[in-house]
Amino acid sequence: MVDNKKELREAVIAYKVPGIQAAVEKARKAGMPAGDIIDAMGDGMTEVGILFERGKLFLPHVLSAAQGMKSAMEVLGPELLKSGDASTKRASVVMGTVEGDVHDIGKSICSTMLQCAGFDVHDLGRDVPKASFINEIKAGCTMCGMSALMTTTMTVQRDVIEILKQEGLRKKVIVMVGGAPVTQAYADKIGADIFGETASETTTKAKAINK
Amino acid sequence: MKGFYTRMGDGKRVIMTKEQIINDIHAGIADAADMAGVPDLKADEVDLLFEIISDKNRIVGVEPGKEVVLTYDIGQLDFTGDNGNSGNGIDVGRRESALLHERALGGDTFELAHADYSIKPVKPIISNEMQAMEEIQSEIIIPFFYGAMPNSGLYYAPDGPYGNPADLMREFKIEEAMQAAEFTAEHLARDIEYVSTRMVAAGADGFNFDTTASAGDADFVGTLKGVEMLRKACPKTYIMVGMAGESVMGIHGSIEYKGEVVAGKYPHQQVKLAEKAGANVFGPVVNTNTSKSLAWNMSRSVTFVKECIRVAKIPCHVNMGMGVGGIPMWETAPNDAVTRCNKAMVEIAKVDGV
Amino acid sequence: MAVPHFMASGMGGIRSAGDLVARMQFSKNMKIDKAKEYVAKKLGLSTLEIADEHIMRELREELKIGVITGVPNAPRGIAAKMNIERLIDTKINSCELFREVTKR
Repeated sequence: MVDNKKELREAVIAYKVPGIQAAVEKARKAGMPAGDIIDAMGDGMTEVGILFERGKLFLPHVLSAAQGMKSAMEVLGPELLKSGDASTKRASVVMGTVEGDVHDIGKSICSTMLQCAGFDVHDLGRDVPKASFINEIKAGCTMCGMSALMTTTMTVQRDVIEILKQEGLRKKVIVMVGGAPVTQAYADKIGADIFGETASETTTKAKAINK
Repeated sequence: MKGFYTRMGDGKRVIMTKEQIINDIHAGIADAADMAGVPDLKADEVDLLFEIISDKNRIVGVEPGKEVVLTYDIGQLDFTGDNGNSGNGIDVGRRESALLHERALGGDTFELAHADYSIKPVKPIISNEMQAMEEIQSEIIIPFFYGAMPNSGLYYAPDGPYGNPADLMREFKIEEAMQAAEFTAEHLARDIEYVSTRMVAAGADGFNFDTTASAGDADFVGTLKGVEMLRKACPKTYIMVGMAGESVMGIHGSIEYKGEVVAGKYPHQQVKLAEKAGANVFGPVVNTNTSKSLAWNMSRSVTFVKECIRVAKIPCHVNMGMGVGGIPMWETAPNDAVTRCNKAMVEIAKVDGV
Repeated sequence: MAVPHFMASGMGGIRSAGDLVARMQFSKNMKIDKAKEYVAKKLGLSTLEIADEHIMRELREELKIGVITGVPNAPRGIAAKMNIERLIDTKINSCELFREVTKR
């Protein structure tokens, strides 16, 4: 089983869809539970995220690995449900670059990483009105990720948190903030739950809080 | 006091012991060396980094005779801009700003910019920009550039004609996303040629491409092709290529410039491509990690940049602003940190300019 | 951000000979030491002296290549740059255009 875990992890890091499918098939034949297979692939995806940020893998590679995981989930998902295991999705996350800010790339990479890690991502794009974040949370998202690339717009992250408090929603949602000018100190000051220096750091923290 | 006042990457003041500072210097060097495959700094350079960080004076500087060229980017926006680009919010004219940088702020070069600071929106206002250039050139003495960001993000939906690669990839339309990036690179190169050749025709000493590759590898390729076109059209013009980050993001992943994949390139590799395209000066960038100390960030930045300078055939002016070059990510970056990073870059990395 | 960099390591632009060194970097791809040596030789000074405000202030006025203080009749802009062209043996784009439009 240890070998299967290693193979699954390495197949995801190698980011080839057929390789991932073959490793999953081998693990299933060896009797590895669906949940364990998914966890091993998730470890591989975490590594893929780190390699992306260190410039060793690129976005198409990340997506190819995710595509491999997605095809594996088509087989593993029904098995998980049959065995009465939990849902295959970790949590629903609303993501967006805050209103007034049109910087998209960092947030999009973060959305991709979260999607690859098994989160149900609702990416609203950029220049997202405050109310749109609130509406998604009211509709069931339990996590909210806000990006801001400018010192003029990072204050909107604070505004959304304040609205969440006013509407009695703050305790129901995990708030993540990031973007070039955002720091841990700022995240603490405005009362966010997670600050991510990078997309993979955000994903790692989001996974940890969702365990 | 058992320790030294220093800073974190977010600018906050902290006290660290000698041992902690030395450990962070080594960790910063090791991180850069591991990421970019560049050599570690030598023992005497580690000692000098510690000496610079632990200096009891608030402001430090280079020894007389070691001064370097100081180039400014972002043009007059450092006066006129809002805090989004660390501007002072003073609605001063572009002519006045240029002359103030020349006569009061010690600038060895300066540039004209427009409020958006991206190349694409210059096209409809090119005549205005040409007039402003002609007018200021008649009064200014220092080399005066036109500056703008390639910013190929403006060519993707919803701002431009091509699909947004990040969105397409999330739908696993990988080929389509890569194609959109390739179209964008070609479009950007054409726009660079259009804008830059006109600004040179208006008297600009040259063109400064600021935050190159901010939208990833296709942005870098488009800029390099644009630089090549400008060089061909204006052989004597001054060209500066400044980067957006320490590594070229692989949004496309395999797009090439002159037979080389550009994604994942670090400063010492980026500069070789800028040389091939025809740049005169290259501006390496190293990003600051806000959760790490000044010692970590400064030593890491110097390690990346030192190798870039060693391999470069053209001069390099390192980017040293808010959140880059080891400087804390803080709008009013503390002077003690700024001057320390500056001295380390000049005396250890041996940069040709800042 | 400008002032601390200027104070820590800047040549000082037209307070000294920073603009001339920059022109050699951009027009001839010279690295800093070579560019400073080139300018120093043209000015008959050492590389230390070309960043010395005390030496350069009077020399710039004598050479008519522009000073930071408002000296009446001291050349500015194109006039100063034409003198710079001759001094460091380079061509400057705005001067070339000026010559072209004035047929000089």
